[in-house]
Amino acid sequence: MNNLVKFSIGIFLTLGIAWLAFVVGARTQYGDLLPSPQILEEDGSVSPDAELFPFELSGVAKQGAEEYAALGCVTCHTQQVRRVETGFDVKRGWGKRPSVPRDYVLQEHVLLGNSRIGPDLANLGLREYSNEWMHQHLFEPQSLVSTSLCPPSPFLYNEISEPVDSDIEINSGNQQDSSRFVRPTVRANRLVAYLQSLKQDYELPEVSYVEEDKDDSADLVVENVTPVTSSAPTWLQNQIAAGKEIYMKAAAGGGMCFTCHQTNGEGLAGQFPPLAGSDWVLGDKNRLIKISIYGLMGEIEVNGVKYNNVMAPPGIPPGSLTDEQIANVLTYIRNDWGNSASAVSIEEVAAVRASLKSRPAMQMFTASELSKPVQ
Amino acid sequence: MSDDSPMSANLPKNSEFSDEDIVKSHVELSKNKHEPTQNFLIAPLVFVFVFGCLIFVCSIQLAHSTNFFRLHPPVEIVELSPEEKEALRLERKISSGEKIFAARCASCHQANGLGIEGQFPPLASSEWVSANAGVITNIILKGLKGEILVNGKTYGTSAAVNMAAVPISDREIANVSTYVRQAWGNTAPEVTEEFVSAIRAEHSSKSDQWVGDELKSMFLDSFGE
Amino acid sequence: MPKDTPDKIIDRSAKLVFSFFLSSAGVWLLVAAFFAYLTAAKLTDPFFLSTCEFFTYGKIKVAQANAFVYGWGGNAIFAVSIWILARLSQAEVRGSVFLIFAGVIWNLAITCGLLGILDGHMSGHEMLEMPTEVWPAMLISYLIITFLILVIHRSRQIRETIAPQWFILAAILWFPALFLIAWHGLEINPARGTLQTVLSMWYGQSLVWLWLTPIALGAAYYLIPAVLGRTIDKYYLAIFGFWCIAALAPWSVVHHLEGGPVPIWIPAIGTVMSIAMVFPIAVASTNFHATAFLDIGKVWESLPLRFVIFGTLSYTVSSYIGVVFSLPAVAKITQFTIINEFHFNQRVYGFFSMIIFGAVYFALPRITGREIPKGAKSFHFWTSTFGVLLLLLAYLIGGLTHGVLAGQPTLPWSSSVIQSIKPYFLITKFAFIILAFSQFVFVFNVWRVIFPNPFSCCSSDKKGASA
Repeated sequence: MNNLVKFSIGIFLTLGIAWLAFVVGARTQYGDLLPSPQILEEDGSVSPDAELFPFELSGVAKQGAEEYAALGCVTCHTQQVRRVETGFDVKRGWGKRPSVPRDYVLQEHVLLGNSRIGPDLANLGLREYSNEWMHQHLFEPQSLVSTSLCPPSPFLYNEISEPVDSDIEINSGNQQDSSRFVRPTVRANRLVAYLQSLKQDYELPEVSYVEEDKDDSADLVVENVTPVTSSAPTWLQNQIAAGKEIYMKAAAGGGMCFTCHQTNGEGLAGQFPPLAGSDWVLGDKNRLIKISIYGLMGEIEVNGVKYNNVMAPPGIPPGSLTDEQIANVLTYIRNDWGNSASAVSIEEVAAVRASLKSRPAMQMFTASELSKPVQ
Repeated sequence: MSDDSPMSANLPKNSEFSDEDIVKSHVELSKNKHEPTQNFLIAPLVFVFVFGCLIFVCSIQLAHSTNFFRLHPPVEIVELSPEEKEALRLERKISSGEKIFAARCASCHQANGLGIEGQFPPLASSEWVSANAGVITNIILKGLKGEILVNGKTYGTSAAVNMAAVPISDREIANVSTYVRQAWGNTAPEVTEEFVSAIRAEHSSKSDQWVGDELKSMFLDSFGE
Repeated sequence: MPKDTPDKIIDRSAKLVFSFFLSSAGVWLLVAAFFAYLTAAKLTDPFFLSTCEFFTYGKIKVAQANAFVYGWGGNAIFAVSIWILARLSQAEVRGSVFLIFAGVIWNLAITCGLLGILDGHMSGHEMLEMPTEVWPAMLISYLIITFLILVIHRSRQIRETIAPQWFILAAILWFPALFLIAWHGLEINPARGTLQTVLSMWYGQSLVWLWLTPIALGAAYYLIPAVLGRTIDKYYLAIFGFWCIAALAPWSVVHHLEGGPVPIWIPAIGTVMSIAMVFPIAVASTNFHATAFLDIGKVWESLPLRFVIFGTLSYTVSSYIGVVFSLPAVAKITQFTIINEFHFNQRVYGFFSMIIFGAVYFALPRITGREIPKGAKSFHFWTSTFGVLLLLLAYLIGGLTHGVLAGQPTLPWSSSVIQSIKPYFLITKFAFIILAFSQFVFVFNVWRVIFPNPFSCCSSDKKGASA
C-alpha cells in the first residue's frame, strides 16, 4: 500500500480483470456475430440461398437513428425485449420473442436504453401505426394519448396555414374547436422511417417466438391504436384503395406496377427506381401523369441515383389506363410506403392528356424532356 | 474541536489531533492489528464467517445462472431422417428460387407464370419449361430471340429475353429454374448447380441469343409430341 | 502571525487551487440543479418549454447528469482530493499554475460538451454522451491534474499511507483508465452490437463506483478522525474494505443488463458480485458509524461531520437496497423503472455531494481563514437533507409502483402505469426546487468566502445570508 507503483499495479489489476472479462472476453465471444438465416444447414453452415436476419436498415432509417440518439429518446425508451423469465415484456406484447445479441449486429449505435418511462420500442414497426399517427405523436403526443409524458417535438414540424393533403392534421385535446396542420421536416421523416423500421419479426437459430398463452393474450389491452390512415377523408381513402388495386393487378385492366417497382415501392437497385420517398413521385404531378400515359425511357435520376431502363406505357394492354385509373394509381403511389403527397384528380389527368393531343400514342417520354419547364 | 464554535481570530483553532497525528496513529493501528478492545476476536470471526457464507452463496448462484458461459441458450437439435433432410433442402431451394423469380422474372412472365398474351409467353404448363433442363438453362444464360410457339400461340413480337446482360450465378439459375419447373402445376425434375455450370461452360463461346428452333433441335427428344 | 504550523503553510499553498476548483464546482452545481429542475418540471408538464429543441427532455436529462458528474463532481474531486492529500502528505501543493490551467481546460471541455449535447451531438453512450471531440481535452487536462496530485503524494513526509489516501488515489487513477477503456472500445476500435451497451453500461456505472464513491469514502475516512480527534474504530478492516471494492465493484455494475440481449453470464456475474458487495459496504459502515457513535454528541455539534455521517448512512442504507434490487427476482420488477433515478440521485446527491459539502465546510475556513455564517450552513444542511430524503423516497416508492404496475400486462401503459407515477414526479419537482435553493445558498456562501466583497469583508460572519 505504501509503494505507489505497487499500489497502482494492484488497483489497475483489479480493474483489468473485469475489463478482460466484460470487454475482451465478451468481444471474443460474440464480437464478430453475423446475420443468420432462421434455420442453419444440418452441419451448422449457412445456406447461400437463405435470407439473412437482421436486415440492414435503409439509409433514411439510419439517419433517423442519428436523430433518435441526438434527441435523447433513449432516456425514456428501451429497445430490448427481455427474456421471459426475467420480465413481462413478451406478455405485454412488446415483442414476439426475446431480443438476442444478433438483432443488433448491424446497428451503428446500439440504443438499448435502461429506463422505461415510455414503452419499449424494439418492435414499434410491428404495431401498425401509420406514418401519420407517428407524426402526430411526435408533434404532440398528448393529442393522441392524453396522459402521455412524452415531450412534444414541434420543432421537427412547420405549421402550415394552407394545408395540402400530405400535411398532418393535429387535433389537440385542449383546443378542440380548431385543428392545425403541420408539415414534417426532413428530420421528422427520417425519425419516422427509423421508428417504422424497428422490428424483430424473424426467428433465429438461437431464438424462437414465444408460445402465446391464449388465456393471457385475450385481455391484452392495446392502447389507443388509431386505425391506419383513419384521419384521411373517405374520398381519399377510396381513391387510394382503388389505386392500390390497379397497382397490384396483373391482369387486363390493371397496371401491373408492382412487378417492377415492387409491392413495397422500393423498386430494384440498379434496375427499377423506387417510388417510396422518390423525388419524382412526390414532385410535380404533371410529369407523373405524362409518364403514366406515355411511358418513360432512358436515363433518369431518382433520389440521386441514376437508372436506365424502359417503362412501357403502363396498363394491360400497354397505354390502356383511363384517366380515372391514372388518377387513382398516382394518388396511391403518392400516399403509401411513407409517401404523403396531394391526391391526383381525374380532371388533372384529363387536362394533361388534352394538352398532349398532338403527341403520337405510345411515344415514350425521356427524363430530360420532362424536366424542361412546363409550357 | 468544533469548527462551529465562534472564532475570535476568524481562524479555526488547531486541534490537538493534527493531520500528522491522524496518519501516524492509523499507521500504528494497521501495524498493530490487535485492537485493545474486548471484542477484537469476535468481530473478525463474524466477518470471516459472513464472508465465507457469501462466497458459498455466490458460487452456487454463479453455477446456476451463467448458462455455462455460453452466448445463447441451448437449442434442441431436431434429428431428421435422410428423406426429411432432402425435402427440407428442396424446399429451401425452391423458396430461394421464388424470390429470384419475383425479383427478376415476374415483371414479364407474371407472378402466376401465365405471362401476357401476345407479349410474354407463359411458363405454367409450358413444354419449353418442362423439357430437358438444358432448354431453360440455356435461355436464362444467353437469352432468346425470334418467334416461338408456346401452348399453341406464337410469341416473339416484343423484346427478346436478354439475360446475358444481367449477372446471375449458376446457383441462382439452378434455384430459379427448379422453382419454375415445379411451380404452377409444373412437375419437371430439379436443376442442379453442377448442371448449370456444365451448360455455361459448354456454350461459353456463344455470343448472341438462342433462336427457338435451334434449342428445340438440340433437345428434340425431350419435347413431347 | 508568524508562528505558522505546517498545516497552515500547506493550506496557504492549496488556497488558489482549492478556491478555483471549488468555485467552478459551485457553478456546475447550480447548472445541474437548474437542469434537474427542468427535467422534473417537464415530467410533470410535457408542454413546459416544449417548443425549444435545446431543452427537450432527453437532452437536458443527459446534460444534467453530465454537468453533475463531470462538472460538479470532477471539480469538487480535484479540490477536495488535492487538499486532503496535501494535508495527509504534509506536503505543499506545487504547480498551481498548471493545475489551474488544466482545470480551465477541463471546464471548457465540459462546457463545450454540454453545449454539444444540447445542440444534438449526443454520442448515445451512457455517461459519455458528450461529443467525442471534447474527450481528448478532458483526458489531457485530467492527466495533468493526476500527475500533479501524484507529485504531492510522492513528496509526503511519512512513508506509510492510510485509508483516505488509498481511496482518493485509487479514484484519481481509475478514472483515466476507465475513460481510456471506454474510448478505445466505443470510438477507436468500436465494438459491434450489444457489446457497445455492455461497455458503456460498465463505464457509466463504474464511474460512480470507482470514481465518485471512493473519493467520498476517502473524505469520510479523513474527516471523521480529523473532527472527532480519535482513530477509526476497527481500522484494520479498512484495507479489506478497500480491496473488496477494488475487486468487486467493476464486476458488480453489469447486473443492470439482466434479461437483455447479452450473454447470460454477464448479468449473472454482476448479480453475484453485487451480493458480494455486502462485505465492503459493511466494512465501511462499521468503520464510520462505530467511530461516530463513540462520540455522537460531537458529530451533531460539528456541521461538517453531520453532512459526512448523513452521507455514510445514506451510502450504507441505499447500497444494501441496491444489493436487494440486483437480485434477479427483484430486478424483474424494478429493472428499467425510475428506481434507476433513485440509485443515481442517491449516489451523487445523498452520498457523494453530502460528504463533499462536509469536506468543503471543514476545509474552507482553514484554507481561506474566513467562516461561512452558521445559520447559512445549518439552513443548507436541513434543506439538503430534507430535499434529498424527499427525492429519494419519491423515486423509491414511485419506482416500486412503476415496476409493479408495469408487470401487469393488462394495464395500459400511459393511461395507467405512467399516470400512477405522475404524483411522484411532482414530489421530485418540489424536491429539486428545495435542493436548488439549498445549493444556491451553499454556492453563494462559498463564493462570498472565496471572493470576499471588499465592501463587506468584515461582516462575513454575520447571519442571514440565507435570506
